[in-house]
Amino acid sequence: MDNKGSSQKGSLLLLLLLVSNLLLCKSVASLPICPSGAVNCQVSLRDLFDRAVILSHYIHNLSSEMFNEFDKRYAQGRGFITKAINSCHTSSLSTPEDKEQAQQVHHEVLLSMILGVLRSWNDPLYHLVTEVRGMQEAPDAILSRAIEIEEQNKRLLEGMEKIVGQVHPGVKENEVYSVWSGLPSLQMADEDTRLFAFYNLLHCLRRDSHKIDSYLKLLKCRIIYDSNC
Amino acid sequence: MGSSSSDPRYVDVTYIVEPDPPVNLTLELKQPEDRKPYLWIKWFPPTLVDVRSGWLTLQYEIRLKPEKAAEWETHFAGQQTQFKILSLYPGQKYLVQVHCKPDHGFWSEWSPESSIPIPNDFSMTDATVWIFVAVLSAVICLIMVWAVALKGYSMVTCILPPVPGPKIKGFDTHLLEKGKSEELLSALGCQDFPPTSDCEDLLVEFLEVDDSGDQQLMPAHSKEHPGQGVKPTHSDPDSDSGRGSCDSPSLLSEKCDEPRANPSKFHTPEGLEKAEKPETNVTQPQGPQSTSVEGKIPSFHVSGSQSSTWPLLQPPGLHYSRSSYHSVADVCKLGLGTAGAASTLLDKTDTRALKPSQTIETGGEGKAAEHGESESFHSKTDQDAARLLPQDKTPLTSAKHLEYVEIHKVSKDGALALLPKQNENSGRAEKTSTPETSKEYSKVSRVMDSNILVLVQDRRAQNLAPFEEPAKEAPPPLPQNPAAVDLASFPAAPSNCRLQLGGLDYLHPTGFMHPFQ
Repeated sequence: MDNKGSSQKGSLLLLLLLVSNLLLCKSVASLPICPSGAVNCQVSLRDLFDRAVILSHYIHNLSSEMFNEFDKRYAQGRGFITKAINSCHTSSLSTPEDKEQAQQVHHEVLLSMILGVLRSWNDPLYHLVTEVRGMQEAPDAILSRAIEIEEQNKRLLEGMEKIVGQVHPGVKENEVYSVWSGLPSLQMADEDTRLFAFYNLLHCLRRDSHKIDSYLKLLKCRIIYDSNC
Repeated sequence: MGSSSSDPRYVDVTYIVEPDPPVNLTLELKQPEDRKPYLWIKWFPPTLVDVRSGWLTLQYEIRLKPEKAAEWETHFAGQQTQFKILSLYPGQKYLVQVHCKPDHGFWSEWSPESSIPIPNDFSMTDATVWIFVAVLSAVICLIMVWAVALKGYSMVTCILPPVPGPKIKGFDTHLLEKGKSEELLSALGCQDFPPTSDCEDLLVEFLEVDDSGDQQLMPAHSKEHPGQGVKPTHSDPDSDSGRGSCDSPSLLSEKCDEPRANPSKFHTPEGLEKAEKPETNVTQPQGPQSTSVEGKIPSFHVSGSQSSTWPLLQPPGLHYSRSSYHSVADVCKLGLGTAGAASTLLDKTDTRALKPSQTIETGGEGKAAEHGESESFHSKTDQDAARLLPQDKTPLTSAKHLEYVEIHKVSKDGALALLPKQNENSGRAEKTSTPETSKEYSKVSRVMDSNILVLVQDRRAQNLAPFEEPAKEAPPPLPQNPAAVDLASFPAAPSNCRLQLGGLDYLHPTGFMHPFQ
């Protein structure tokens, strides 16, 4: 009897919390736009793109700073850059390399490419945080940025999925993404190998975040402003 | 070995782009109706940067400053190509520049300067209001000034009516300004103002005590001259000189009758004796006492008529050889029996200070001897006496036991013969005052028991004490009226009276009476 009463009370409490959460979420003007669980949440495409661009820009800035920090601290004079060219796991996604190529790709394709890259980085980012934490003398500048990038990447992914749902509603999408297999390299005992693995990962992250940011801006100007930003 | 090629340097174009500066920087001054005017700045991105497709995203920054300023004012404009500046200094020429930067590149160069002059009538509303207020106030001030100028005089006269200045016939203001008092006063008929040293003589003479005379005013004598008080040199009371009779022009003729009833008690040994006599006799000694300077006070005659209440001056025998009579008021005091009246009189005399009297006092202080009288002093004293009289009347009339002394007559030498007006005692009191030469009357030192005036010599103030002592002795024997200091002398031997009376001019009639009883 007591258990039943207490469980009922607990469920009631939980329901109350949920409702209050929903209400609170509605009152907050900032993200997320649509509270979790809401189905008919309509945010304009323009706003979606604006938020996406802001996030992509933010992520790119963070990754760029993180790379610079790592390069300055660990990779000076090691020539890592030479070996890091064209060694990213997302190279297989055949993304456009310059502006002309990007402008010739259809926005649906481009959108799917962006999604693929974003999905490809979920796993690496997670391990990056874990491994940076495990480093002796973990530099906070790198660790904090790594944590932030992981968080924002998830958000951007959600936003992009919404955009795709609005741009191409009803299209069943192939969730194509690249699989990252560089984890053993991050855990190598050899410091040089490990450092190079980190360097490479951070370098690829900076490049891919820049791609995402560029593509999104292109798409925004093309879709929202009709190429007249 | 070394290598023939350097290590490759990898560059990401994204991070090394420095775009061209923005172009077409335009400035526009916008002035909306209800709001403050602002500067609207517009520009275009550089031509080679593909911002339209979104491939590059530029961020802009503008800066502006007044032409003469030294520091630039920088504003970040973000990705917009327009900007509003609100805080502007009117009347200055502003310079504006803009530059841009891609997301991950470098800042471009600053665009060429664009200038725009800010007109002066920027904050027109505030300035106009203040100007309007200033003009209005100026107009109002002008109007007021004009009104005052036109009607100022009449307004001033209405508010502050002119005070008419005194005009005295024969009074030459110019003389006054020059400070020549003698000429001025002579024009007015005054003589010897301020009183000269002759006043001292006059003073002295006022207080002369007539030894021989039965009526002798009490001299303001010093106790040091016990014998002086009894100078026999004074005119014989029987002599006509100084006799203060009603017929005597020098005395207050009006109330001659009354004073007759009140024997004056200014005394000398003879005077004391006379106190024993009936009232008439008593009055006599008083006469001379009060008016010390009979002949010397021709004006007294004049005032005598007026001052009915004045102690009569007994012409003969009443004269003060050397006593200094400070003021006619003092004489009056002598005759006054009531303390209140006396005090009042005293006050009045003191305050009044008939100038001559004061000067006389001062003059008399230094002197104790007979001498010439100053007629001017007389006149003054007359006037003062006349003035005093009316005042005396009021207090006197209110007092019950009014012991008033009239100046019976003025002796030749200027001794005042005082006659007590209503009370024979007062006369006696006066009589007992020893006429002494070179005695100076001072102010009433104190009043005893409301009917006795104690006069004290100014310059011989120290003599008061001795005089007072005997006065204390007097009271016991006098049941009714406490003896004044002067009185004290009475009970004592006549010589004592003389002594003591030197400084104290007023003798209580009872005191006088006592020794004789």
